[in-house]
Amino acid sequence: MRVTARIASLCCAVLLSQAVVAADALPQRWVSAGGSITEWVVALGGQNKLVGVDTTSLNPIELKKLPSIGYQRQLAAEGILSLKPDLLLGTEEMGPPPVIAQVKGAGVTVESLATKADIATLEHNLTRIGALLGDEAGAAKAVADYKQRLEQQAQWVKTAQAGKTAPTVLLLLSHAGSSPMAAGQDTIGAWLIEQAGGRSIATHNSYKALSTEALLALDPEVIIFADRSIAGPEAKAALLKQNPALAATHAAKADRLLALDPTVLVGGLGPRIPDTLAVLGAAFYPAAQPLTANAKP
Amino acid sequence: MNPVVLPRSLFIALGLLLALALLLSLALGPVSLPLLDTCKAALRLLGLPVAGDGLEQAELIIGQIRMPRTLLGLAVGAVLALSGVAMQGLFRNPLADPGLVGVSSGAALGAAIAIVGGASLGGLPDAIAPYLLSASAFAGGLVVTALVYRLGSRNGQTSVSTMLLAGIALTALAGAVIGLFTYLADDATLRTLTFWNLGSLNGASYTRLWPLLVVTIGVGLWLPKRAKALNALLLGESEARHLGFDVERVKRELVFCTALGVGAAVAAAGMIGFIGLVVPHLVRLLVGPDHRVLLPASALAGAALLLFADVVARLVLAPAELPIGIVTALIGAPFFLYLLLRGRA
Amino acid sequence: MLRADNLAVQRGDKQVLADIDLSLQPGEVFGVLGPNGAGKSTLLDALSGELRPSQGQVTLDGRPLASWTGPERAQRLAILPQTSTLNFAFRVEDVVGMGRLPHATGRVRDLEIIAEALAAADAGHLAGRNYLELSGGERQRVHLARVLAQLWPGAKGQTLLLDEPTSMLDPLHQHTTLQATRAIAQSGVAVLVILHDLNLAARYCDRVLLLQNGRPHALGTPHEVLQAEPLQAVFDLEVLVQRHPERGHPLIIAR
Repeated sequence: MRVTARIASLCCAVLLSQAVVAADALPQRWVSAGGSITEWVVALGGQNKLVGVDTTSLNPIELKKLPSIGYQRQLAAEGILSLKPDLLLGTEEMGPPPVIAQVKGAGVTVESLATKADIATLEHNLTRIGALLGDEAGAAKAVADYKQRLEQQAQWVKTAQAGKTAPTVLLLLSHAGSSPMAAGQDTIGAWLIEQAGGRSIATHNSYKALSTEALLALDPEVIIFADRSIAGPEAKAALLKQNPALAATHAAKADRLLALDPTVLVGGLGPRIPDTLAVLGAAFYPAAQPLTANAKP
Repeated sequence: MNPVVLPRSLFIALGLLLALALLLSLALGPVSLPLLDTCKAALRLLGLPVAGDGLEQAELIIGQIRMPRTLLGLAVGAVLALSGVAMQGLFRNPLADPGLVGVSSGAALGAAIAIVGGASLGGLPDAIAPYLLSASAFAGGLVVTALVYRLGSRNGQTSVSTMLLAGIALTALAGAVIGLFTYLADDATLRTLTFWNLGSLNGASYTRLWPLLVVTIGVGLWLPKRAKALNALLLGESEARHLGFDVERVKRELVFCTALGVGAAVAAAGMIGFIGLVVPHLVRLLVGPDHRVLLPASALAGAALLLFADVVARLVLAPAELPIGIVTALIGAPFFLYLLLRGRA
Repeated sequence: MLRADNLAVQRGDKQVLADIDLSLQPGEVFGVLGPNGAGKSTLLDALSGELRPSQGQVTLDGRPLASWTGPERAQRLAILPQTSTLNFAFRVEDVVGMGRLPHATGRVRDLEIIAEALAAADAGHLAGRNYLELSGGERQRVHLARVLAQLWPGAKGQTLLLDEPTSMLDPLHQHTTLQATRAIAQSGVAVLVILHDLNLAARYCDRVLLLQNGRPHALGTPHEVLQAEPLQAVFDLEVLVQRHPERGHPLIIAR
């Protein structure tokens, strides 16, 4: 009996010490790069671990107070190291590669996640972030919630669509209204449109500039616009001012121009996506009951 | 004009300036290290046994990040300044710039091809990508320069004014192709292209440094040997011929020396402007146009200036970094305007 | 000795120079005269190797000019072009010093030669000045000092070609320049000088070549060549030729 007890307590001690060691081994100072990745870190409760973020990490607004490590493709090794991080978390878009190698060489863990817009990738990313936070359970719950919301969205789309054809939609990413680039088939933009029940009519890949003639030829029923430099109603005005030909599209004539925060498009699927989808869906099918209370556009 | 500064005092001053630049480049950065640690780490790096504990971070920062970066800045600054002198001698014009011969735009085009081509292939393996970029930029610079040289030559004689026009035309063509790439590129490639165009000493590593160091030393040893020929060339090509110099050979050598130097620099660090234009000019104002002094002095001054600019680039927005091309332009352009207004240009 | 045999130069389908036979003798000052477009500069370019003749050849000491290389040739043949495009702020001594580049005489001796050459070109007072701050005439004298320095002190076997060295000079310096060429000719150097002032040619040249449309019209001493008839034929100018009251050389006066 005593021997068993002893062994039991020994095992407990070992397990406990492992847990302690494991907790110690968890990175405490995080640098995060890539909009949605950072948002997930915050959503999963890791905000107090962040010591630095990149220029695409703008949500929530408190992140602006953190030191900025610059644009995620042009990071500076010494700059990152000066924040004494344990972890550099980001996407495959981080660079330049020699800098990442230097950061790794300095003993910082570098975790590079994929940005593909699908559930499997998101699950993998959240699981990783959860593990790094030491909160696998929280991460698993977040994944489950997300899946549920996406399913709800899919159901809602089915109901709302009910025999109607999906509206043709284009997503335009612009800078102060000018040089709008259309989101191609393989982008998150297109994924958003499809998930919200629209039909993305872009035939190209990634973000490409389309001529106004091409835009007119495509003639979408709905246009989603995301402006990198202007926010609010001014963005819509700027878009129409810089591209007067847009006014001839169905979307402009019916005033079905929807604003979108461009940071939603960076870093893979982020926590704000389900809400965004609800808003977009309600705009695509105005006759249907919106999915969530604040989804009324 | 008697030189404002005697050559000997100038070299002493430049040497001290460069030493200061080296010290600042090693001692300053986003990670604050005690100066003593920096010195100890630097000495250890050179192989000297120095006592001290807790120097691991210093050795890492100095050895892996600041030292290669400093060496890169030294080489790029020196080789760009030397190429500037060579071009100003070749074109017999104190406003000439290595970019005139088309090297910079050719290198930029080569790099753009590598960036866009790599992206369309779905991304290159990380191990190869930086080398491919450098090699492509270097090749681009050489190809365009060779074209300009060919267009400007006939019967073994090069016409400098034709080369100038050809350089302008090819620069415009390269710019158009890069513009095409920019237009067709997706967002990600676009950002990479734009940032590379601005130049940076970021991510310097010893492996990528060696080719440039070799080229810089080569150019730095070779050009001063042509100092007398460069002086004579300033009189005019036929006058230089009458003084006994093989002018065609000298011109060929100058063109390829510049292509080599600037191509390697642009390949290693992107487009960094104004060093080749402003540094020889400044030095010439201080000590006169004799290439025997102008060449070594410009190399020292170019290296020092670029190192100072780099210190500014990595401190002013820390922990982020300003592309160094912006800093050199901010220093160089107003200074140049000042020169023009004073009528000394 | 610089020699041209049956020299002809063609530009496109235009014959700009033909039938030129001349050999420059050591110690003589050989003048080339002719109206604009007569081919004087073309002749100089051919003699200095800048232009390839379409016919005939130029030889230096019996060897074709093209076979002479670099410093070897520069030590025996110096050319002063009509204008200079030097655009950099060298000191005057440095410009003259470039004439010493083909030689290996050492810095000390070079400095002496530079000073002597400047004095000979009556530009000694310009020492220490910035070349870009000089007037056109002063610059011309600095370049004269440079080519003098290139051949200093001057000896038999050397040749000096000058393309209108007096074009920008005031009357005094026109004479001092040509006196300097006579002086170096006395050391044995063969001098060819293109002039457009007939009286300067009459006074300072031992022989004169009169060119018209690229062809030699007359070749001989000033007395023989500078006469009313040939001058009218070549320059389409009616002149009187008289004797200089003190020196005896021809004095050409337009009617």
